[in-house]
Amino acid sequence: MKRRDLVLGGGAALVSAPLAAPAFAQPAQNRVLKFVPQANLTSVDPVWTTATVTRNHGYMVFDCLYGLDDQFRPFPQMAEGTSFENDNRTATITLRPGLFFHDGEAVRAADAVASLKRWMRRSPIGQKLNEYTDELVALDDRRLRFRLKRPFPLLLNALGSVATPTPFIMPERLAQTDAFTQIRETIGSGPFRFVQNEFNSGSLAVYERNPRYVPNPNAGPVSLTAGPKEVHFDRVEWHIITDTSTSTSALIRGEMDWFEQPTPENQLLLRRNRNVVVEMLTPFMSVGIMRFNHLHPPFDNPAIRRAILPAVQQSDFMIAAQGPEPENWRDGVGCFTPGSPFANDEGLDPLKGPRSIERARQLLREAGYNNEPIRILGPTDILNPAALTQVAADLFRRLQVNLDVVLTDWGTVVQRRASREPLDRGGWSITCTTFAGFEVMDPVSHFPLRGNGNGAWFGWPNVPELETLRDSWFDAPDVPAQQAIARRMQGIAMQELPFVPVGAVASITAHRRNLTGRVPGFAQFWGIRRA
Amino acid sequence: MWAYIFRRVLATIPVMAIVALFVFSLLYLAPGDPAAVIAGDQASPDDVERIRASLGLDRPYLVRFGEWVFNILRGDLGTSIFTNLPVSHMIMQRVEPTLSLMVVTLVLSVTIAVPMGVVAAWKQGTHADRAVMAFAVLGFSVPVFVVGYVLAYVFALELDWLPVQGYTPLSQGLWPWFENLILPSIALGTVYIALIARITRATMLEVLSQDYIRTARAKGVGQRAILFLHALKNAAVPIVTVIGIGIALLIGGAVVTESVFAIPGLGRLTVDAILRRDYPVIQGVVLLFSFVYVLVNLVIDLLYTLFDPRIRY
Repeated sequence: MKRRDLVLGGGAALVSAPLAAPAFAQPAQNRVLKFVPQANLTSVDPVWTTATVTRNHGYMVFDCLYGLDDQFRPFPQMAEGTSFENDNRTATITLRPGLFFHDGEAVRAADAVASLKRWMRRSPIGQKLNEYTDELVALDDRRLRFRLKRPFPLLLNALGSVATPTPFIMPERLAQTDAFTQIRETIGSGPFRFVQNEFNSGSLAVYERNPRYVPNPNAGPVSLTAGPKEVHFDRVEWHIITDTSTSTSALIRGEMDWFEQPTPENQLLLRRNRNVVVEMLTPFMSVGIMRFNHLHPPFDNPAIRRAILPAVQQSDFMIAAQGPEPENWRDGVGCFTPGSPFANDEGLDPLKGPRSIERARQLLREAGYNNEPIRILGPTDILNPAALTQVAADLFRRLQVNLDVVLTDWGTVVQRRASREPLDRGGWSITCTTFAGFEVMDPVSHFPLRGNGNGAWFGWPNVPELETLRDSWFDAPDVPAQQAIARRMQGIAMQELPFVPVGAVASITAHRRNLTGRVPGFAQFWGIRRA
Repeated sequence: MWAYIFRRVLATIPVMAIVALFVFSLLYLAPGDPAAVIAGDQASPDDVERIRASLGLDRPYLVRFGEWVFNILRGDLGTSIFTNLPVSHMIMQRVEPTLSLMVVTLVLSVTIAVPMGVVAAWKQGTHADRAVMAFAVLGFSVPVFVVGYVLAYVFALELDWLPVQGYTPLSQGLWPWFENLILPSIALGTVYIALIARITRATMLEVLSQDYIRTARAKGVGQRAILFLHALKNAAVPIVTVIGIGIALLIGGAVVTESVFAIPGLGRLTVDAILRRDYPVIQGVVLLFSFVYVLVNLVIDLLYTLFDPRIRY
């Protein structure tokens, strides 16, 4: 054989290869949904990690006893119903019949009990429920019972909580895993089955429709996690694409159907494409915060924390994070998610009116600021916290304080943020981040609003009044009473300043125009269909 | 020869041991905490501490290092902190895309760059030479990701000829596999082509001024035979050396290219693991890259004997 023949033969093989390619049984294209999630799915255990992407994965694979609608009213999902007795100190939950895990085993009350016990070790509202609980047992295969020390009005809301970690029900053998150790299998009873052998973390996660899943006809209207979970795709593929420009191009070309969170600059590009719809992912915006370290000078002094308020312009933070389009953010924001039942304007006056750097400088002097070093710690690789950090750094430069700005990657930030040491031993003074709307819409899972000192979220504010009010919130008989407590909490927070709210950012999503029926809230895969 | 190969293979053992020690120690000293990343923004400090303990990250350096080395000696690279999957499994999932990208890039680069360098040397001082040198300067100067974005914009978005992202395994057909690699290979190969073309030109210029080339010309040997049979063969040793060294360049470039074109290869695995401090994965991948690099150098050394009969081991 001559070399030329070899080359020609090779070329011919290359050209004819598609004809010779093995014929794989592919699902019909319109039954496959290709989705680009906001982040890589690194862990598949939605109790072990609080990562939002894992929570979303959880809603594919697992189911909850209850779901919540967009007014946060509970509706049964796996539950058939709940009966309350003994002055609401006993709650008996009955599972609806015909529930099966993906391995074919029937869902039993014992599975639910073990799952809830594991969840109650990690979730803030679960921990509170645990404090109220004397006993949680399976009465038989379909009934489980909470025996409470005193009534817990939020019981059903807790069982449908969408905040991370979420009370998903998994088989007892998995749920018996320690809450701080990752489960080794992904077996749920939800509308999709996780295809373990196609999982390639950092690249691809595949879900196939669970043929045995029966949507609950009594689950209320389709809204957030309530309502019957009707699935219209046989297969959902999560393609992890770290580069947002590439994700944008893939959506424009139709290589992908849905891009969960395009960045603001990519949103502009996508809005110009008539085959793509750009809209709010959720009506609940994420709240940005500037967090102080309360353990060390100068921010151990509340007067110094308050002194900077006249200089804080929430719109500066928001424009840096989300661009100038006003529909992408909101200012005038307090401690709670704007639009949620507990958002209020108590104590926000210092953040309103004309802003003044001079006034803030004067207040700093009067509060006794003596040029102590201030270290701002922030990431460069996560959009919103990075932008908020840059604005905070600029703000403090203009305040002419003794400033040190440490910009690094998120992995380092989360480690250094945990340091309680003073600045000369690697500590920090200020850090900025955002919290998802679901996490900060009420006092339950509002970590930065906790005032329990050493047990509090990073920054460790010690504000006992906040803790007392939070405890009383759980016992409040109705929403107006809860709102009154939330209002008082915000008033105290704006005085003690565990953090400064710096605005709220919208979560924007983009998908091909031929997709309809998306359920607003977060990336959920029931309801959505290809037109 | 075989004794030499055996000695070289043996020599990789201490090299790999030193690499292992450095990788482990540097990661131990580097800031970052996988437990905090796992726990997420909503976790309390106590939760982070418990996760750290459950992962064994609170144990002393020597205990962790000893356990890691012991496992490696048994062929176990460990388990990913995040995915709970064996590191070897995660690496195996990623080998094919990276290998494909590197092979296609290598073939493409050598096929284009060597003739470019030869022509530039042959036509020294002409427009062709200047064009090659201008391309080389451009190839060195423009970052891989910029080339990648431009290619994706032109050939995927505007012309709609090629996909903008992704990877199709070779088992699903040659064309689908190749189609996904064309743009990434060109993007990754640009700097490599520039490097090889420049080295080829410089080496060829030196060889073309040798007496034996003048003798060949005097004997009436044709230009093509002079260039490709006499000159290029004698210029091959430095060119092959550069190609070998360039493998490291490709590994580095693959990290960026795989991100831009969403290719699920080892480069992205490395970056993802570094960003979330998945220590076992980082250690496993770096060890693999080190081993590949040592192996490539060995192959290059052996290739010298093919091009230069005076070299004997």
